[in-house]
Amino acid sequence: MKKPFKLLIIDDSEEILTALTNYFSQKKYEVASAANGLDGLKQIEAKDATFDLIITDLVLPNISGVAIISIVKKKFPETPVIAITGWGEHPESLAKEAHADFVLEKPFKLPELEQLVKKLLKQ
Amino acid sequence: MNDPSKTKLGPPIVGVSKNIERVRELIEHVAGTGLNTVVFGESGVGKEVVAQNLYQKSPRVGKPFIKINCAALPEGLLESELFGYERGAFTGAEQKKKGKFQLAHSGVLLLDEIGDMSLPLQAKLLHVLQSGGEFSPLGSEKEVKADTWVIAATNHDLKRDIEAGKFREDLYYRLNIIKIYLAPLRERPEDIPPLINFYVKEYSQMLNNRNLEKPSPNVIERMCKYSWPGNVRELQNVLKRMLVLGDCSQILDELFNSEKITATQDGAADSSMSQHASLTEIIDLEGANSPDSQSFSLKTAKKKAVEMVEREIISHVLEKTDWNRSKASKILKISYKTLLYKISDLNIVPPEK
Ligand SMILES: Nc1ncnc2c1ncn2[C@@H]1O[C@H](COP(=O)(O)OP(=O)(O)OP(=O)(O)O)[C@@H](O)[C@H]1O
Ligand SMILES: [Mg+2]
Repeated sequence: MKKPFKLLIIDDSEEILTALTNYFSQKKYEVASAANGLDGLKQIEAKDATFDLIITDLVLPNISGVAIISIVKKKFPETPVIAITGWGEHPESLAKEAHADFVLEKPFKLPELEQLVKKLLKQ
Repeated sequence: MNDPSKTKLGPPIVGVSKNIERVRELIEHVAGTGLNTVVFGESGVGKEVVAQNLYQKSPRVGKPFIKINCAALPEGLLESELFGYERGAFTGAEQKKKGKFQLAHSGVLLLDEIGDMSLPLQAKLLHVLQSGGEFSPLGSEKEVKADTWVIAATNHDLKRDIEAGKFREDLYYRLNIIKIYLAPLRERPEDIPPLINFYVKEYSQMLNNRNLEKPSPNVIERMCKYSWPGNVRELQNVLKRMLVLGDCSQILDELFNSEKITATQDGAADSSMSQHASLTEIIDLEGANSPDSQSFSLKTAKKKAVEMVEREIISHVLEKTDWNRSKASKILKISYKTLLYKISDLNIVPPEK
């Protein structure tokens, strides 16, 4: 069997985090999650971390999604990052500046997000 | 130049609370990023210490660390301090002057009290941040580019300032890439003993280790119970006084006394405010008891209003009679039983002794 793709999902809304985690786990992805930027970043920077793709909310406690995107794009430029946002334009344009691969506005449909993930992972 | 021992080192971040441990961890992870950062917290909680620690742990250590207080200067002066000016840019500009933004090139610019920056200057700052550090000094055509790590500090609730139209939302998001929150000292009393320890050592050295009376365990215990409205800075001042004057208990008594006085003053201010409030406000006609809401009726609104008036009058009489309920019931011309019922129904509480 093929090794599953590893996703990291960062969102401070428990509802969204659970929904996304359950959805992608069912679709046979290996999913890690974090409820704030610092916990997300710690997982990204962990020695044995090998995420294939990161999905992050933009407005987060402590380290914002924008920061996550900038840091990932600097240290792991190959790793695709999808930003999800429900906060109007400002953080969205910041996410683009930080070179998010895609900015998805809430609300969105889960299959829509999955299509995007597949595309970015070139499945 | 890159030797950190040559720059003036701030103190380490002392503390064992969850809040402080988290802050230290956050600093470790973001100090290397150079991403715009805002440090939030009440006055004296250690926002500047956090900024210094970020700088010291970053590759920018040894480069300039420049601080500017946005609340201390009038708008025009702040602008020229930040961005500099050409000779002759305005009357009195006899010499060209570099702005702090440029002076902090390759280092850190700490924008202290950012919540007090005027809206026009916020717009200019936003512009500079959007362009990656480009701006022109006053009276100059040429753009200057500075690679400056911007760290801002504030004791305002910027979210609320945004709602009040005093702070730009786009600037807020632009600055708030990293957000560090320091809790007030009263919410982390476990940090008080280690802070006392640290500063007693520090001050004893300053005072040449004279035979100083150090706070006893009992004194430290009492210090943990005080509310520290001035946070760590107030703790430092109290410690200095204790070390120099001795007599810790007396100093503490005074502290707790002043705390009580402010509390009753605040209470008095509150009640005099409500005396001036309009009926609309008192009944909260525009909020919870609005005619738009399901539960609204003349009857319920009237009941609310009567309750408010009753509570006000009964509290007043109880206060006057020193909470002698039988006396109060006679003045109010209601039965003793009715008074007891009203006290509990209206949730009137005796003042703390
Ligand atoms: N955790 C800490 N460990 C050691 N020293 C601290 C700590 N927090 C604050 N201090 C000290 O307390 C004093 C006040 O701190 P600081 O100037 O950083 O506060 P601030 O939040 O910037 O206050 P203000 O809003 O008034 O500018 C400083 O002398 C600082 O060194
Ligand atoms: Mg300060």
